[in-house]
Amino acid sequence: MKRYLETGNFAITEGAILAGCRFFAGYPITPATELAEAMSYRLPQMGGIYIQGEDECAALHLCIGAALGGYKAMTATSGPGYILYADPYGWAIGCEIPLMILNSGRVGPVSGITGAPGQGEFYLTRYPTQGGNFETIVLAPNSAQEAMAIVVEAFYLSERFRTPVTVLADQLITDGFEDISVPENEGEMEEMGFRKWPRKINRGPEFYPATDEIDIPPVVLGHNTGALCSDWTPTEEGYDIEEVAAHHKHAYRLIYKIRNHRDLFNTLYEKTFMDDDPDLVVVSYGTPSRVVNTAVKKARQMGMKVGALRLINLWPFPDEHFTRKTKYLSVELNWDGQLVREVQRAAPKDSKINFLGTCGDLPTIPDLIEAFTKILRGQSLERRGWELEGW
Amino acid sequence: MDYLSKKYLRSRKIPSTACSGCGLGLNHKAVVQAVYELGLEVEDVVWGTSIGCAGRQTFGTWKGDGFAGTHGRVYAIARGLRLTLPPEKKIILTVGDGDAFGIGLLHLIHASRCNADMTIIVNDNLGYMSTGGQYGWTTPHGSKTDSSPYGMYEHNLMSDGMDVLGVLKHAGATFLARHVAMDGQRAVESIKKGIQNRGLSLIHMVFPCPTNFGSRELGTRDTVKIYEWIENQAAPLGQEKENTVWATGVYFDASNSRPEFSESIRKNVETIRRTAAL
Ligand code: SF4
Repeated sequence: MKRYLETGNFAITEGAILAGCRFFAGYPITPATELAEAMSYRLPQMGGIYIQGEDECAALHLCIGAALGGYKAMTATSGPGYILYADPYGWAIGCEIPLMILNSGRVGPVSGITGAPGQGEFYLTRYPTQGGNFETIVLAPNSAQEAMAIVVEAFYLSERFRTPVTVLADQLITDGFEDISVPENEGEMEEMGFRKWPRKINRGPEFYPATDEIDIPPVVLGHNTGALCSDWTPTEEGYDIEEVAAHHKHAYRLIYKIRNHRDLFNTLYEKTFMDDDPDLVVVSYGTPSRVVNTAVKKARQMGMKVGALRLINLWPFPDEHFTRKTKYLSVELNWDGQLVREVQRAAPKDSKINFLGTCGDLPTIPDLIEAFTKILRGQSLERRGWELEGW
Repeated sequence: MDYLSKKYLRSRKIPSTACSGCGLGLNHKAVVQAVYELGLEVEDVVWGTSIGCAGRQTFGTWKGDGFAGTHGRVYAIARGLRLTLPPEKKIILTVGDGDAFGIGLLHLIHASRCNADMTIIVNDNLGYMSTGGQYGWTTPHGSKTDSSPYGMYEHNLMSDGMDVLGVLKHAGATFLARHVAMDGQRAVESIKKGIQNRGLSLIHMVFPCPTNFGSRELGTRDTVKIYEWIENQAAPLGQEKENTVWATGVYFDASNSRPEFSESIRKNVETIRRTAAL
């Protein structure tokens, strides 16, 4: 194990390389640029390929091409680039291509504030492309060290499920310097719980309509297997077919191969002070969860029965954590309230659900303690003068 | 095509579902003939297509490995594939004019810029015909389509002395040719040269669409009429007439004159891997 004082971008790069990633196509964008730079330095040392796309849409298509050639591939961006993935992301979902996609959230919409953290793509990562009829896997780390582990896990899941996996980070995770340990061999990887899945070559049939099987190798071209894949509805052999019934079967697979095997990743969450049925559950993911955890510890010392639920597996949304009727507070890096909508949907009907949003900066511990106090007293959260109603 | 068809194409997909009288089959046949004359086998080629008439009708016809990209993106996919396939595998793309010269032009320019080894056949039905017939980026000026009911009057890549092949030449493509579907063996020879170039080759091949282009521009679906209309406006390079729109033959040949994309990336990566520097 080697220790570094380094950024999240460094940790993600090392994680990707440990996972077997040997292809990166990117496009410069704050705050994911340093990740591309680190890849351009590290990949050739490993015999891997780094190139820059003409835009983000091209970058992800280049990754698709590399994946079709048998490589484990990834790209990285922020919100304004992630939106340009819509086209290739859909193709990769439909053709069941394993890819790892990193999104480091900043303040949007559009270019917004480039150098500050945001969580505006919670729903976008669930629906990164058009058309519906699919499920996505999205994981959100909250530190540089965890980002490394989650990236390795994302590559692992992308192979087993034959699908792109998004790792949703934010500017503080990718840019921030932290204490990072990098495993130096397979044994150390295992010790750290890193799982790896090798790329195998599909020998046909290419597609598996109306099934939810996983662990099927993806389509790889160039081995003269007669493999076919396209943006159209596929038959088992990859031919295009214009038939609603056939599409329904393909869609079933895209949805249920993931929904029916959630046990492979729905263990990815963290609960703090959650054993005694707290009166208030604070829900968050990513960097804000670190402030939330500290605030919850402090609130406990002050005698408040508060617990923290940190989600790492964001999508498919883990409804199972929200079975208890209680008070909830969703803490997010956006002002419109995104995660809170899912909490509201998943929690029992008359649970009291609150939202506290900041963007560009983390919430402070006093702000959080004040919010906990008010919610526990049954008061509503006040807004700043110019903010109107709650979400 | 029978022998060639048996050797290279999937019986399930031949004949295609193109309209009767469509000229796309002539282009397709010319490509397969070129592959045959070069002595290539099914496993030597990975075949990609776009969407639209040209893409959909040729997708999955090749007996070997194949793929189709979303609209305009196949050049970027093929470039990623080029980097990861063995260099001796040929990549052939059959695409449409809307795909290559409209939505995909940026990606095509960048594939040309880096001289990625692939042979692109742009099957040009003079607009967007699979959506019923709207003008595109090579539609001759004045042509009537469903979106140019008064005659096409927008500037495009083949009007006012422009030539889309000129754009690609300056972008870095190393082999460029133009034909019409009726060019037969002349087209086959150009495609062969394209495939033999280790770099980006593009053959622009205009073909007759009786169903949507012919019916709007000429007022008839009569196959003979649209074939004649195209043939009359085509002439070999150097023998152009006043009404020539498509000068056919090799437009630019710098085959094997500059480093190929994947080869140069691989070489550099290998040097860095061994020596940690360039
Ligand atoms: S619409 Fe035109 S180009 Fe398309 S298949 Fe029919 S005849 Fe051919």
